[in-house]
Amino acid sequence: MAKEFIAGPNFSGRSEALLTRLRGGAQGEQRAFFIGPYAEAALSGLSSSVADEIALYRARPPRARDVFSRLDPVAAGARKPQSLSGGEQVLLALHCFSLSMHDTLGIDTALEQLDAVNRAAAIDYLSSGAFDALLIDNHAAPSGWRQTVRPPSPSPAFVIDWAALNATVVPRAAPVIDIRRLNFTYRHGPTIFRDAAAQLVPGRAYRLFGANGAGKTTLLKILVGALAPAASEIALDGKPYAPWRGGGAPIAIATQNPDQQWCGATLEEDLERRRGALPAGVAIPDIPKLAAFARALGVSGLDQHLYELPLAARKRVSWLWPLAGVHPWLVLDEPTVGQDAATRENLAALLARLCAAGHGIVFVTHDENFARLLPHAVLRVENGGISSL
Amino acid sequence: MFTTQRLIVIALCAALNFSIGSIVYLVKLPLYFDSVGTILCALLLAADRRAAFVCCLVCAVTSTLMTGLLVNPFLPWFVATDLTICLVSAFLTTHAAETFRARPPRPAAFAGSVLLYGIITGVCAAIVSAPVVVYLFGGVTGSGSAFVVAFFLKTGQQLMSAALLSGLTADPIDKTLQVLIAALLFRATPTDFVTMVRAPART
Amino acid sequence: MTPNGAVLFAAVAILGAMVSGGRGLAAGYAVAALFALTQIAPRTGACLRRAAIVMAPLAAFMLIIWVGVVGKSPQEIASNAEGTRSAALFYVATVAARLFLIVFVLQAVLLRFDHDTPFAFVRALRVPAGAKRMMILTLSLIETLRNAVDRAYTALVAAGIVTRGLSLKNLRTGWILVQTVWLTAITTVTARMRDKWPVEDTLALLDPALDGGERRLSPPDWLWLGLAVAALALGQYLVWAHG
Repeated sequence: MAKEFIAGPNFSGRSEALLTRLRGGAQGEQRAFFIGPYAEAALSGLSSSVADEIALYRARPPRARDVFSRLDPVAAGARKPQSLSGGEQVLLALHCFSLSMHDTLGIDTALEQLDAVNRAAAIDYLSSGAFDALLIDNHAAPSGWRQTVRPPSPSPAFVIDWAALNATVVPRAAPVIDIRRLNFTYRHGPTIFRDAAAQLVPGRAYRLFGANGAGKTTLLKILVGALAPAASEIALDGKPYAPWRGGGAPIAIATQNPDQQWCGATLEEDLERRRGALPAGVAIPDIPKLAAFARALGVSGLDQHLYELPLAARKRVSWLWPLAGVHPWLVLDEPTVGQDAATRENLAALLARLCAAGHGIVFVTHDENFARLLPHAVLRVENGGISSL
Repeated sequence: MFTTQRLIVIALCAALNFSIGSIVYLVKLPLYFDSVGTILCALLLAADRRAAFVCCLVCAVTSTLMTGLLVNPFLPWFVATDLTICLVSAFLTTHAAETFRARPPRPAAFAGSVLLYGIITGVCAAIVSAPVVVYLFGGVTGSGSAFVVAFFLKTGQQLMSAALLSGLTADPIDKTLQVLIAALLFRATPTDFVTMVRAPART
Repeated sequence: MTPNGAVLFAAVAILGAMVSGGRGLAAGYAVAALFALTQIAPRTGACLRRAAIVMAPLAAFMLIIWVGVVGKSPQEIASNAEGTRSAALFYVATVAARLFLIVFVLQAVLLRFDHDTPFAFVRALRVPAGAKRMMILTLSLIETLRNAVDRAYTALVAAGIVTRGLSLKNLRTGWILVQTVWLTAITTVTARMRDKWPVEDTLALLDPALDGGERRLSPPDWLWLGLAVAALALGQYLVWAHG
């Protein structure tokens, strides 16, 4: 069975090469299965329950092939695939492939959303399975696979000017976020936090750890004011902090799926609306400064339609508002998914510099390489509490 | 008629109709937009008016049935209103498709088109909805327009005319806002997507 | 009971509610109650609660308008009579009872089949294949949009574009959340149509998954259909006999 790893930097044509190979085999006896890099790219888009997603792909009669089962299909059966985390969607897709008639599997950076244990299990399955596999991954090539290296594009697009970005870092005094007492229960749902407490000190990076459903996203939503906790006390530099009442969170977010954070169709629209929404007392960055950030992130003009950019470029542009220093706290959800090793290293260095300048950073990641590069403290969210490791 | 691309557009717009309810709930707007997707479907397929009408109608019926089953059981009774909105959107509002996507934007023409087609849509929808409001709901649908109905009843109007007058007061405003949102979404839609959905059916 | 039978039963029961006057609704209520107690027995309370949640605001509105403001019934208005609040109250009660019955029947039918996956339910329906595909696609995209709404809402609150509570800002900029969700959905769907679906021929998997499950009407279907028709007929008789 052919196992091929397609290596290379971003924008070297890896994705197109993978898809061309998959399409090439589709007309004959072999049929390919594709798990892509973008949101919900693992899913068929045709089902609204996990059980239906599995039923859609299940081969009739069943194949004599090892079944990949890291997600409990029975427990997850009634859940909606779209509500699964990115990693769970990838595990579901792998399970569906293992039951299907498809003979070739192509994965474009999707494994980067898995934690270390599931990633190892997935690589093991791909390596030993009786099927052809093509893989793009920015973390590491599985051993024993044939490697195809795509050279960098001769006229590279979306090149990041890291020197320019690093030059924008200036000292900043971020406030201390003191979660003295946090209680939250979803209406008709589980209790997520029960007298939880934590302190986020500026000048540090914090990595949020926790199982799916533990409360990582809930905590972030409370801190930006999208959810209102009950009987809680949070302070910002000692003063009461309740953004769910009046906004004004000193936090800039970069979401896991960059498309879900845009405030406009074009970059210009997005930035204008963000500038217009800044509360009194927050310095409004001028357009030339933001345009310079956009150029440094590889986007030539502010009239760029955001949704027409390639995914990897959209991911980079999603860092613009946090990196522009408008707010002293940055929250980054899986910032390096789909980004090559060089970008990962440079981003980690830039974030470390921002911490040293006084910003605070909270991030969620399954990328252990990235986490190793950025000195951080760990906050574990579990069993209703938040603990520091 | 039903290419894969058009099926996707219909389903997307129907899902949008369904989902706008949750958006309105989250941002606490005292409005109920249930036809933005329908109007948007027509605009996306504006180049072929017949296809726009058929796809728009399938979108409206699909979203009305889904919403009726899962959220608001009274919505399916307004299927004639859906048909009316589809007719107006596909054969009239689509005339403004180029205006809505013009770059650079033409604010006066944009606003004028939104007002014109919003009012036409609202008037037609009010006329078609009035019998349903009277015979199913007894004249009161649980929105603020019920007070307008009460006002007209107090002035001596019969129930049907009171419901009609109330609809003619509220629906043009509601539908104009919906045409506005649909136009803004249409304007923001990437050109690639619009080109893809307008590709002719392969024979 | 099959989904097709349940749909037909609901359609006839709702038609009966639509054409019945006050007394005529009694037969419809009897059949609906029997359906709930035999088909969804332990969840009849949940069904009543859900129907009440839908109806309560509407009934309150009707009371305020007809009894509180107008003070007479439409029939009294039509005949130019003086009118009484009790007549208005009777009118509201009749309309509300009809609407409650409709909502209750729909909720009962939904609860009857809520253990089925969407594929299983849609597969069993005797409708054209195209209609099945459309239902499945729409349900899937509804979930995609729902997820996008949740994530985009958080991001836009963080950016200060929308607020959590009611505000003038939300009136001005709430539509941006709609735009973000729409564009996210288009991007997801476009990428799927460009990459995953052609490679896998995914759509071709859908028809076999939905075909061949249509079920003819079963004896219980015919029984419930008969009861619904009988209730409709009895309701009409009661209206005719007693006005």
